[in-house]
Amino acid sequence: MEAQYNTNLTFQALSIKGRKRTTHFTLKLTSMIDMFTILLVFLLKNFSAEGQIMSVAPDLRLPESTAQKAPERASIIAVTNDFVLLDGERIAKINDVVASDKLLIPELMSELQKKRQLSEKIGQIHSQMAFTGKISIQGDRELPYLVIKKIMFTCGQVGFNEMMLAVSKPD
Amino acid sequence: MNLKQAIGKGQRNRDVDVNIIPVMNIFLLLIPFLLLTAEFVHLAIIELSLPSLNRGQSRQEIENPQELVLVILAVKETGFQLKAQGFVFDPLYKNGNQYDYASLVEQLKRIKEQHPYAEDIFISAENNVKYDIIVKVMDRCRETGFPNVSLSG
Repeated sequence: MEAQYNTNLTFQALSIKGRKRTTHFTLKLTSMIDMFTILLVFLLKNFSAEGQIMSVAPDLRLPESTAQKAPERASIIAVTNDFVLLDGERIAKINDVVASDKLLIPELMSELQKKRQLSEKIGQIHSQMAFTGKISIQGDRELPYLVIKKIMFTCGQVGFNEMMLAVSKPD
Repeated sequence: MNLKQAIGKGQRNRDVDVNIIPVMNIFLLLIPFLLLTAEFVHLAIIELSLPSLNRGQSRQEIENPQELVLVILAVKETGFQLKAQGFVFDPLYKNGNQYDYASLVEQLKRIKEQHPYAEDIFISAENNVKYDIIVKVMDRCRETGFPNVSLSG
């Protein structure tokens, strides 16, 4: 005896001659249920209750690392192969950063100072939101160390001392 | 339907339908919810902190200051060079295009054996070394027992 995973729908359709005729439809759902089950297992497997704290630009390929620490909420400096971005806004071009012979990136520094001032003002209102000096840096894996060094130096100058390097976990 | 009916006399060829509509309802609700919360890129962070007051205090808490050793790892375009007080290490040249991570881990383990309390390491890299290499080196250091990685120019 075979169990049929079907739903039965009964239609009453009018034929051309006006006679009432009963048509019996069965909808085969077995394959759909199979697919849903596989999808459900897959989605449950990579379910995380924390949600996504950081999002990564599509042209940014983070280096792979065995680090296990979960990301924290902080301002994000994204360094792609073309631009330096702070929280999604373009700050400087990588070519200019590489060409400059100074360690400090002035455009980034002024923006970071604004962030810090804002954060300190909010901190005066509510102590839980105080300035912590945390910043995440998302760097492309192909970048030369010089660029990362300049970014970190600039962060350190403004007072963002706790830097978190974003990396991707291998599957 | 009960079992008696199902296997009963004259009922052998009867079709049994399982009502799967409630299951479909659950699936249709669960799948969009899980799709929305799914994370397809698994991210992690490596914490770096510049030397600050807190770390100075923790350093004083260690009873034997002699146990601490200054470990400096130079990452060059040609390979690694590890330096530590009381040790002489051969430079580790690249094997073709590949950095010699295995030998680096061995050298780090030698330091760790003699100085089990040493946890700090300074990584000093050349300007053109790729960020990917730096992260890989930091991984190896952390796995070998040097979790406090500092980067210097």
